[in-house]
Parts: sequence; structure tokens; C-alpha cells
Amino acid sequence: MAPGKRENADLGGPQPESAPGPKRFCFRLWDGVVPEAVSVGLCVLVLAGIVGVALLGDQLLRSGLESSRMAAGRALAQAAASAIRSMTAEENSDATALNALLAAGVQAVRWQGPGAEVREWVLNSDGSLFRERGDATALVAAPTISRGQQFVATLADASDAQGGSVTVTLARFTTWRPRLWLAGGAAAAAFLALLGYLAIYERLRRHVQPLAAIQRNLESYADGIERDLMALSLSDSFGAVAASWNRLIEQTNSVREQATVHNDGDLTQSAMKRFENRTLRDVLDRLPIGVIRCRTDERIVYANSSACRLLSTSQSKIRDQYLPPVVGEEVSTPLLGAYQRGATSEVIDRQSGEGDKESTLRFRLVPSLTVGDEAELLITVEDVTHVREAERARDNFLYHVTHELRTPLTNIHAYAETLGRPGFDDESTRKECYNVIISESKRLSTLVEDILSVSQLEVGSLRLELADVDILKLMRAMVQDNLGRADAKRIDLRLKLPPKAPAVRGDKQRLAILISNLIGNAIKYTPSGGQVDVHLEAQDDSLRITVADTGIGIAESDQKHVFDKFYRVASEAVQQTSGTGLGLAIAREIARLHGGDIELQSALGRGSTLIVELPASPQGASVGASS
Amino acid sequence: MSRILVAEDDPHILRVISLWLKRQSHEVIEARNGLMALELFNVHRPQIVVTDINMPGMDGLELLETLGKSDCKPRGIVVLTNRWDHREIGEQLANRGVQVVPKPFSPSDLASRIEKLLAAHDEAAPA
Repeated sequence: MAPGKRENADLGGPQPESAPGPKRFCFRLWDGVVPEAVSVGLCVLVLAGIVGVALLGDQLLRSGLESSRMAAGRALAQAAASAIRSMTAEENSDATALNALLAAGVQAVRWQGPGAEVREWVLNSDGSLFRERGDATALVAAPTISRGQQFVATLADASDAQGGSVTVTLARFTTWRPRLWLAGGAAAAAFLALLGYLAIYERLRRHVQPLAAIQRNLESYADGIERDLMALSLSDSFGAVAASWNRLIEQTNSVREQATVHNDGDLTQSAMKRFENRTLRDVLDRLPIGVIRCRTDERIVYANSSACRLLSTSQSKIRDQYLPPVVGEEVSTPLLGAYQRGATSEVIDRQSGEGDKESTLRFRLVPSLTVGDEAELLITVEDVTHVREAERARDNFLYHVTHELRTPLTNIHAYAETLGRPGFDDESTRKECYNVIISESKRLSTLVEDILSVSQLEVGSLRLELADVDILKLMRAMVQDNLGRADAKRIDLRLKLPPKAPAVRGDKQRLAILISNLIGNAIKYTPSGGQVDVHLEAQDDSLRITVADTGIGIAESDQKHVFDKFYRVASEAVQQTSGTGLGLAIAREIARLHGGDIELQSALGRGSTLIVELPASPQGASVGASS
Repeated sequence: MSRILVAEDDPHILRVISLWLKRQSHEVIEARNGLMALELFNVHRPQIVVTDINMPGMDGLELLETLGKSDCKPRGIVVLTNRWDHREIGEQLANRGVQVVPKPFSPSDLASRIEKLLAAHDEAAPA
């Protein structure tokens, strides 16, 4: 049998694994036992009839033999009486006449005369001749030979001297007595006949059974119950037929595959339809989206694997269930209503659970089907939990973006309008307006840059241009860039670097933004006269950048949010300082993109320390401090 | 001349509104958040309140709620907002006589709104 082919387990032949006892028994129960029992019963009845007829014949034969023997006995008694009469009349003792009786099986002849005279002739011991036995006196008292069957003949009337009676003893009726062994023989013959019948029947059945299986298989295939013709297992008695059948299946499958590949439709339409149905079902079961077919009476005809998974049920359970309890009234009512209105699409979201377990299923009515004469609803089911989360995140992001963009825009708009209006033309006001417009334009520009960076980081479109970055050089440059701002606020900005440090495998420009954001934040939120320390610790496989300030610090309740996008502490000190609330979010994303992370240590009023851990470049050489 | 309370956390916006209202000879009381605005309102009893919605501490909506329960209500309230749902907020506040002005706004437009509010109130209750 070809690998992967299903085998017809009903068939005879050596297939202990594929035809376990119970299944085989079930098959025999329906296909074999009833006719076998009837056949055996008929056989027993026929054999019982034969035995009965034999016994009846025996009885009739015995009756016939008995009557003929009786007649013969009586004739022999008459013959013996004649012989004795002649003997007594002629007074001779010639037993010749009696000897003639020998041939007829007479064992003894006894004559009892009219008086007390008794004479008896018995068969010699060698069985050849009669001899006269004993004297009369003894014979009178002695019993007649009683082993045989006795027949009596009367010689004449009792007054006649030659009268008396003659008793002839024949040998015991030794006719054939077949009654017991005839019955036993008949029973044995019946048993042997039954065994023979069963053996022949079994052999015939084993020959016929594969043909019956082929017939059933063909009928199931034609009715569309079976999708494939099943291969037969080879058996000794039916090997050639099974092999031919299996070759036929191989050829059929081959033709079907060719028809599928070349789409040249050699197969019959029904076979192709079955094949397409199976393929479609397989495809539907592999879709990540759920599909439900439902009749207009709200009963579910079919649901694919995804639909069952999303609805926490199984295909066997969901079939023939009513739609409302399966998907919920809040979903089924509007969907069925839309279908009845003739709408071709309707979308209903069903939310369940709360918090982390919140999930949303989206049910969508798609243009309905017509199967045969019956219309059906087609409903798709999707898990849109992640879509909803993304939508919420997008809304949140947009909310903050619009909020942050509008503030500098408002200022630019308002101060620009003020500049052009009479009444605001004094020098100080004009100067103030110009300064605000310029600073807010810069703020807007920074904000746009930050938003773009966040967007790139979030959608993963940011491509790092990796190279071995001299972190010592980069940190010096970043501190240098911020020295002006620090000096303006009279902040002591200090840099402490080790003599040498391993290179960082990373994007130099992004790492520069990371360090600059941390230093810039520290300067921004440190009051005049404060101090900002930038420190690098280098180990063989990692680097630690620390930016510590003596600024306003961050309350513990705000610390878990400072890396969130657009989050700004609601204190007056922070609100009076311009910022987008994106600097730390961007810094953390860059650190993570480089395989590192960022940590905050802070206390309100006691400054903040931000610590960035970055892995060193595995191949990068150490770089020494050049100055 | 009227007394106008302006509550706004952005110093530049607060400054420009103040400039425009002062040019029209109004007395401007500046507050940087809702709580400060409430305190100043109770002290100065302004005729008009101009407030931002998003402010640290007490925001503009909470300030409106509190003012609504006050014995001495202002003649008019103008709410500034940069929220994108300002239309919905405007519909919600319209029945309470509150005008909603989305950012970015024109300071001249804001000033003329305030003048109209004051004029309407003067007509309705000529003292």
C-alpha cells in the first residue's frame, strides 16, 4: 500500500493493526452472522430430518422383519410339527426332516404329546445336526431352551395319540439393530457436514468480502460521503484483485493531481467539486480570521477553526447551534437585522474582560451566500484587541502632538498679530514679540524633530547606521555643545572620563542625541548655580554613562512616567520650563535600540541621576583619551 | 473699564492676552493655574474670566465647576483650549453661557469677544 493512503479496514486478509477486533466484529455482526446463523440452522434442520428419516426407516424395517420372522417361525413350527408327526406315525427316530430345519435357523424342537410325553431335539453343539435331548421325565420338568424365540404348532386334537404341540425355538432374533449407532453416525456426519459447510463458507466469504467492501466504497464515494477511494490491504486469497484495485486508486489520484496542476479538468465535475470543497475547507481552517456560515433560521452550519478558537468552542459543538447564544445577543441582533434589511456589510465589536484581560472581537457581516436554494449569512470574526490598543495609542499620541504643536503655534500667531497692530508699537513690546516668535519657532522645530524621531523609533523604521563609536570623543563633544547653556545658567557642567574605554557599536548620531538629551534635561531642570556631572565608567563588555544634577528632582509618583511620551511633571517649576516631554522617551528608545537601557534615580528637591548602560562593541578596539 | 481674570499656564500666551486687554483699558489679573485663579477670583471678583483648560493642579473645567457654584458668578467666561475635541467641549459648555476659543487663536478676536460679552451684559442689566 502506498504510504499515506487510507486502508480499507473492513477487508479480509492479514491486517491485525488496521482491523482491530471490535470493528471486525461489528462488520461480521451486520454482514456475516445473520446469514451464517440462518444457514447453520437450515443445515441442522436438514441433518435432523435425515437422522429422523433414518430412524423411521429402521423402525419400518424392523417391523417388516419381525412380521416376516413371525410368519417364518410359524411355518417352521408347522414344518417341525409335520416332521414330528411323520416321525411319531412311522415310529422312527430319523431326524432327517428335523435336520432340514437347521438351515432355517431352528435351534430346538420340542414336542409335547397329549400325555406327559415330551421329546426335544436340539442343535448339536457344532450346530450341524439335531439330536434328541434327555429323557422325557427330565424334559417335562426342564425348561425349554429359552434363549431363542419360540413358536408353537399344534399337531392334532388332544385326543389323538399323535397329537400334542410342537414348540420350535429359533435363534434369538438377531436381525440388525442399528438404532443407536445409526443416530450417532448421522449426528457425526451432520457435524462433519456442518464443519465442511463453515469452512467452505468462510473461504467464500473471504473471497466475496473484498468485493463487498469495494462495492460499499464505491457507493460511499459516489454519494459523496467518502472523499477518497480507499486502498485494499493485500491478502493471500485476494492479493491480485487488491493490487489491481490499488493501482486503480493510484491512477485516479494521479489524474486528479494532474487535473489540479494543469486545470485541464479531466476528472468528473463531482470529483472536482469534492476536491475543491475539501481544499476550501482546509484553506478556511488555516485562515487566522474566523468564518461562520449561518442559515436564516439562525442555526450555524459551519464555523472554521479560527472562529471556534476565538469563541472558545469546537467545530463539533458549534454546529447546529443558534447564533445568538454563541456570539451574544448584542452581536447577533444587529447582524441579523442588517441582513434582513438587505445590508451587505455590518461591523459589530464585542468587548470582553477588563484591564490586561480586555479583548475585542470584531464580527463583520459580509455579502451573503446562497447554498442550493437556501440563503446563508456569512460572518467573519477577528480578534482586534491589538488594533484597538494601537488605535488608543494613536489617539493618545495625536492628542499630545496636537496639544504640543498648538502651544508654540498659538504664541507665534498671537505675537505676530500683535506686532502688526497699532498700540503695540513701542520698542520693548516689539522686541518681546520678536523674541517670542523666534523662541517658539525653535520650540516648534524641536518638537517636530522629536515627534519624527519618536515616530521612527515606534514604527521601527529608524535604521541605525552602525559603526564603532568612540564614546569618549562623543561625550566630550556633547558636553562641549552644552557648555554655553550651562554657562548661561551659571551651572557647573563637569565631565569625568576614564583613561580608555571600549568602543560602542552603534549609531553615532543617535547616541549623540541620547547623551545630549540627558545633559540638556539636567541643565534645564537645575536652578542657577547648580551642578551637572557627566561621568563614564568603562568595563570590558559594557559602558555606563551617568548624568547627575543638583536640580529640582522628580517625585516618586512621577518617576515611573518620565519615560512616557509627552509626559511632563505637573509642577510649576517644570511647566515654566519649555519642553516637549519627549526627550527622555527618545533617550530610552535609543538606549534600547543599542541593546542597553536607562535608569532614573531621583528625589524631589535633591536632583536626579540618569544612568545609561550600553554594551561595548565585541570587536571594537579600546580607544584612549586623547586629551 | 472691567476687571478680567486670565488663567493660563503658558507665560507667553498669558502675556499676550494681558497686553491686548490692557490696551483696551481693562484691569487684568493673571493666574498661572486653576487654584491661583480661584483664589484671585474670590479676592477681586472679576466680571470676565478667561481660562485655559489644560493647566497643572486645578484645570480649567474644574475651575468652571467651582465658579458655577459660587455666589458671585462672572458676567462671562471664555475658555481657551488646544484640545482637538474642542467642538464637543464647546457644545457641552454652550448652555452654560461659556464661549470656547480653540488655539491657536487671534488675540484681536478674543478681545472683541470679551467686549461683546461685557456689552451684552450691560444691555441686559443696565445699572
